[in-house]
Amino acid sequence: MAGEIKYAEAIRKALADELASDPAVVVMGQEIEALGGVFTATQGLAERFEGRVLDTPLAESATVGWAVGAAMAGLRPVVEIMFMDFITTAMDQIVNGAAKLRYMSGGQVAVPIVIRTPSDAGTGHGPQHSQHLETWFAHVPGLVVAMPSTVPDAYWMLRHSIRDDNPVVFVESKYSYFRESGEIGPGDAAAHPYAARIARRGESVTVVTAGRMVAESLAAAEALAAEGIDCEVIDLRFIWPYDREALAQSVQRTNRLIVVHEAVQDFGWGGEMCAWAASELFYSLDAPVRRLAAPRAPIPFAAHLESAIVPDRTAIESAVRDLARH
Amino acid sequence: MTAGSEAPATPEQASAATASPDSLELYETMVRIRELETRIESLHFAGRMHGSFHSSTGQEAAAAGVIGCLRPTDLVASTHRGHGHAVAKGMSPAVIVAELLGLEQGSSGGKGGSMHLHDIASGFLGENAIVAGGVPWAAGAAWASRRLGKDLVAVSFVGDGGAAQGVLAETLRMARTWGTPLLVACENNHLAHSMPVERTFGEPGSIAAWAAGFGLRSEYVAGDDVLAVHRIAAEMTDEVRVTGRAAFLEVEVWRVRAHSLNDPDYRYLPKDLGKSHLQTHDPIANAERDLPVSEAQAAAVRDRIAQEIADAVEAAFEGQAASEELATTGVYSEAFEQEGRMRGW
Repeated sequence: MAGEIKYAEAIRKALADELASDPAVVVMGQEIEALGGVFTATQGLAERFEGRVLDTPLAESATVGWAVGAAMAGLRPVVEIMFMDFITTAMDQIVNGAAKLRYMSGGQVAVPIVIRTPSDAGTGHGPQHSQHLETWFAHVPGLVVAMPSTVPDAYWMLRHSIRDDNPVVFVESKYSYFRESGEIGPGDAAAHPYAARIARRGESVTVVTAGRMVAESLAAAEALAAEGIDCEVIDLRFIWPYDREALAQSVQRTNRLIVVHEAVQDFGWGGEMCAWAASELFYSLDAPVRRLAAPRAPIPFAAHLESAIVPDRTAIESAVRDLARH
Repeated sequence: MTAGSEAPATPEQASAATASPDSLELYETMVRIRELETRIESLHFAGRMHGSFHSSTGQEAAAAGVIGCLRPTDLVASTHRGHGHAVAKGMSPAVIVAELLGLEQGSSGGKGGSMHLHDIASGFLGENAIVAGGVPWAAGAAWASRRLGKDLVAVSFVGDGGAAQGVLAETLRMARTWGTPLLVACENNHLAHSMPVERTFGEPGSIAAWAAGFGLRSEYVAGDDVLAVHRIAAEMTDEVRVTGRAAFLEVEVWRVRAHSLNDPDYRYLPKDLGKSHLQTHDPIANAERDLPVSEAQAAAVRDRIAQEIADAVEAAFEGQAASEELATTGVYSEAFEQEGRMRGW
């Protein structure tokens, strides 16, 4: 379709449009300047915005800390961490620096930085290039955690995140970079910046998910529709803050909740949503709250082993079918 | 030209003239730091303050000498042992004490405390209780400021303990790669808590030698002589300001107190070692002996500062505790928190 672009291009376009509209925006990271990003997210930007799209040494901690200082001094840095697994090497600067500075300083400083980082299994990158670690960041006061699934969300959520006065961990779907297509559209369709999106209306079961699991959940929902199970699929868009109003409105109609994510299930963000729903929506529930997520194991390399670990449409179908029986 | 597209200032654009305090000013700054920290210790011992406190007593020449050559618009990032740096950069002692008392009038309304003093108006980016964590803040803030057309430099303090942290090495590497008007002032106080620097780096000057390997100018100075510290720091910050290239200065000082008040025994070393170090390496006593300052002048400074700090402490105690609401607000931007209150997050 004319106007359709890939997810990676949406990221690139959002960066370009923010670089063009705000001189305070700078983009920093590894292999983003000369190479244009290992997933092409910054291709052509260094030439177009001279001196503002900059290669760093392989030094994530200093890079994030540097961005924090630059933000304190008035810039809006966007940092690319090449794979989400590598973010562990910058944890202190994110958790003790970016997240806490506004609070620790009694509001004397803001830290408007975005840390973009791709996650997902499904690309054969193995145990240290595939993990979903968004739960860690959702647990830290002071951070916003974004996880777009579609082309328009990749674009509009990144633009919002760069303008956000809070530090944002922006989890991109590596699996979707060159698979997910769509149109950006004339403006953000969301009701408010952190609103969830109803990806599919339905009456039988609420499936809450985010990132590339949205597409898997939608595929499962289509298959289940043939069996008379009518899923409502909620694309959260943000892990923190998560849209409790959208969850409540949906579960009050469907009376059934399942949370699907690619991150490990134990202590994962699905646990938070289920606990919240069990506590606040108890009288709307006709069945136990459920989670479908990865088992407690690293992401293996071999495709068949990876498939055994990561939820897919078949696993979602089966879990929802089971829940719908209640 | 827009701020973002601006190239770093060239040597021609940056001017080198350094503010040059006279000896009496350097002496006064050291006395102010000593007096304030001594009063804070007494308040702790009297049970009138709670929490942790890391004294920089004996290290005052590093703070006074290095920060004494900065301009008001220059930036300083500090450590967990940073009251002296805050004071030297111009932060109000009354505000510091109020923060240590956990009061609304403190710099962070009581949210930060002793290890989290921030005074952006004075160019004091803040302390950081994560060892060496503040170094990239200073590097990035200086780099950003230069892009925004400001002719300023930043100083980041770090200790011999922090010199072992990866983020310092990363930041020096990145400073060499990108260029930033940063001076890292490493206060080698001989002890990373209880780990002697002789075991981690070696003799005094070893940290400077290590930093020289990053391709940056790196110097060592004995930190019991405030004029010597000031002289080399002034020369280096001038150079940093003109070239936009980072530099590293190891200042050898002595941590004469225990690591913190929670660790009062100094038990990993002979008990009176701190005291004996102070007898031979006290930068304030040395200044009284060596600086062109008369005994009467020095006595007048001491009396005036004692009164100033007493007044500051008294003023701080008149403050009030902030409402408990402060504990859970100001985590995010006001707009975000308003939205959250409305939507139940």
